[in-house]
Amino acid sequence: MNLIATLNLDNPVVQLPEAFASLQPFVSLWALDTETARNVQRHAQPMEAIRAFADTMLANMDELIAFVNRKPMSEFDEVDETLLKLLLSLAEVAPAVEFYGQQEVVWGFDPRRFVAEEDFNMKPKF
Amino acid sequence: MTDTTFRFITDRYPELGKGPIPSAPYISPEYYEREKEAIFKKTWLHVGRVEEIPKAGDYIVKDLECANASIIIVRNKKGEINAMHNVCSHRLNQIAYEKCGNTRKFACKFHGWAFDLDGNLTGVPEEECFFDLDKKDHGLERVACQVWQGFIFINLDPNPSESLEEYLKPMFGCIEGYPFEKMTAGFSWVSEVNCNWKLALDAFQEAYHVAYIHGLSIADAVEKSDNGTMPPLDALCGEYHRRLSLGGNQKSVYGNPKAVTEGGAAAEEALSEAAKTRPISAAALRAAIGSAKHDFPLDALPEGMNWTKSPNWLFDINVVFPDLYLSLRPNYFQCYTFRPTAHNKTRIECRVFYPEMTTAGGRFFLEYMKVALRDVLLEDMSTVERTQKAAETGAKKFMLLQDSEILVRHSYHAVERMLNKNQPKASAEELA
Repeated sequence: MNLIATLNLDNPVVQLPEAFASLQPFVSLWALDTETARNVQRHAQPMEAIRAFADTMLANMDELIAFVNRKPMSEFDEVDETLLKLLLSLAEVAPAVEFYGQQEVVWGFDPRRFVAEEDFNMKPKF
Repeated sequence: MTDTTFRFITDRYPELGKGPIPSAPYISPEYYEREKEAIFKKTWLHVGRVEEIPKAGDYIVKDLECANASIIIVRNKKGEINAMHNVCSHRLNQIAYEKCGNTRKFACKFHGWAFDLDGNLTGVPEEECFFDLDKKDHGLERVACQVWQGFIFINLDPNPSESLEEYLKPMFGCIEGYPFEKMTAGFSWVSEVNCNWKLALDAFQEAYHVAYIHGLSIADAVEKSDNGTMPPLDALCGEYHRRLSLGGNQKSVYGNPKAVTEGGAAAEEALSEAAKTRPISAAALRAAIGSAKHDFPLDALPEGMNWTKSPNWLFDINVVFPDLYLSLRPNYFQCYTFRPTAHNKTRIECRVFYPEMTTAGGRFFLEYMKVALRDVLLEDMSTVERTQKAAETGAKKFMLLQDSEILVRHSYHAVERMLNKNQPKASAEELA
């Protein structure tokens, strides 16, 4: 459990349905709006925390995908959006877990200098 | 199509030779000045996709330091795309400050002169105080602008020596009809990198580096020969443009281009090893099968794609001279530009376009593929600034290239060819 989630009163954390209770502790850290924010978080978190997040997501994967795929993204409420954002963060940490065994690309170019254009107008809504 | 009487691809292009390539073009400020005059001010340069400016009044602004220009590209009310210099006719101020937007007209923020979407001067405050001012003579300076397969190009030559179609057809006519317009989910990254533009492009136009620099990430996605090397399926070198075709390991999520849109056997194959070794990649693929908004049957692709007809084909690299890199897979494509801002500085703009996904599971897969691509790009770019520094020491006057680096070799010759055509002067060897 992380303490930040319980302390952040200004920005209330979305409550997930009971079926996804095991994912609730990860919402405050990983339900993020942009690629840039997710990449910054990947580099800010210890690998232990990243692996715990990835393992919990994988353990719930079938139910999670069945749940978010049940309706079109245009009809998403904040719970659906939160679960999708967690999936996008899982994608963000995938190379750290499955390629590099560390947060950074091994010998990689500085990601802060490779700037995602968050205002690119062909970018999907989520 | 590949002629098997030749041992090497390079044997088919005797005009390129097999010798070392000079390093001067990467480090010489004088060489860059010649490139600006004879290449970047004289040929077609890619500036965006038509989908970026879908509505009347949508515009983008491109700063082209390599041609001392800032260009506005805008869609007018008739749906046509215009390009014009971002320079006010009055006191020469830039009239557009933002890199993109939507407007009914361009109004200069200095004295309020107004121009319509075709660049015509339509409004002059205190017009009666000017002397013999005829507004129709003082529009924005127009720039040649043409579209090929949804790619917008401009040409700063007031009288381009050939049309965009004439320029592209000989090499790329065979890939017309690729479903570019179905790839509407796009992502973009930009970086200002301290290296020569050709040095950056070179890092992308060969696959020899894959086994090494991508050893931890996607090396498993590229097809290996029996002795463990990753030769390209084939390469094609034209007058200026060039192409490279690569094979993929079908038993990997990143290397099986058919898996997500075909599902079935292709997906089973891609998942067979990934499920064990890379569970997140496997989960992303499984979540996405059937989610793409369109089908992308391989047999509907234009004949120029996978021109060796390899069953293990992964993608084709297409380099549009001078600085556009287009990598085409059956169901997504990458579009990078390597645009110089100085002899040892380059603005690299990397974009990837996927089909829109109808479900969140599909969107998860796109993010997986996009993030993997981005991190692979960070690997690709990890060497370029160090290579530039090392080259600038002058310790080595030449570099050595093997057969599968033929596009790098061709790139040097294509630059020399256009320099000599448009502005004959000292060759790179003499500078060295």
